[in-house]
Amino acid sequence: MASSGISPELLRALIAGLALSALIPFLVAPVLRRVGRLDRINAGAVAAHYGSVSVVTFVTASQIYNESAFVVAGFMVAVLAVMETPAILSGLLVARNANGTTLIERELLREVLVNGSVVLLVGSFFIGVAIGPDGFDPIEPVFTSGFTGILCLFLLDMGLVAVRRILQTRTLSRRLVVLAVLFPLGNGTIGVAVGTLIGLDPASSAAFGVLAASASYIAVPAAMRLSLPQADAGLYLAMSLGVTFPFNLVLGIPLFRWMSETLGSMSW
Amino acid sequence: MVEMTKRVRIEILVDAPLSAKLVRLAEDAGITGHTLIRTVSGRGSGGEWQEDLVSGATAKLIFLSVANPERANAFLQAILPLLESHGLLVLQSEVFVVRPERF
Repeated sequence: MASSGISPELLRALIAGLALSALIPFLVAPVLRRVGRLDRINAGAVAAHYGSVSVVTFVTASQIYNESAFVVAGFMVAVLAVMETPAILSGLLVARNANGTTLIERELLREVLVNGSVVLLVGSFFIGVAIGPDGFDPIEPVFTSGFTGILCLFLLDMGLVAVRRILQTRTLSRRLVVLAVLFPLGNGTIGVAVGTLIGLDPASSAAFGVLAASASYIAVPAAMRLSLPQADAGLYLAMSLGVTFPFNLVLGIPLFRWMSETLGSMSW
Repeated sequence: MVEMTKRVRIEILVDAPLSAKLVRLAEDAGITGHTLIRTVSGRGSGGEWQEDLVSGATAKLIFLSVANPERANAFLQAILPLLESHGLLVLQSEVFVVRPERF
């Protein structure tokens, strides 16, 4: 973006990302209620996780795609940032009738709008724009050749956390495990299709699919603990971190690439 | 013999995301000092919890403060609505301090 500026493609991706993040909770919540047999509060909390995004899943996908010359546009980081929070408000709307408390408090707004991950994402994006390629050169070794190793270590630690989440939860039923696999498949397919339709290149469309398929386990859980404390944290973390996260890493990332390349090769 | 004055010690086990609200309510009650202490893990009526250093959603902190009885009471009144909804664990005990004007 440092060289291309704010392009129509970026604006389309930002709007589509915002819309998708806000809409996905309304798509998955009824399924969670009927098939997953969750009450409204838990359905709203889980739905918010699936509308929001996983930074680590996106970073891993970008790394894998980029290493095989399937290069994701740099502005997708901005799309990632805007997809973090709309789902939180949608999830709260889903749960509102049952909750009966104030929808948005000062602490929640702070958590939603300026939580650490959003500040870092938006901040690093603008730093990248400001410093440009010349400014990136001195720190390039950490973020290119060294980054894969750092990511591997982080993912190993995440694996431990994910397994603990599954072992500790008492409410993760088989139905919910199936949903935690079906949601990324469905949402990711929608994401790839939308990315292709708005004119993103195949790699960015695949990354858009990864974003739609991923589920948050950093920003949204904190917001849910604040605003929906009755919701079962063990449940939504087990689904997003214990099932959906590894599914996306192992199967989702290559699958959405295949989908994007297939869609991209079709003539419209 | 050092002169000691009675004060109230308040300890609250609180979900990490809620700690900012607790601090604000304490300040509103006139309590000017507090300490937030990280915890590692535990078990309660809601099952196990632990700081996983990733999501932070199930992490808990201990809010620790010492205040005079009036301020402590005002603070505890303010957090009453949160006790049930957010599952706070509140402990209150008598302590003796050397410099009472600080609390």
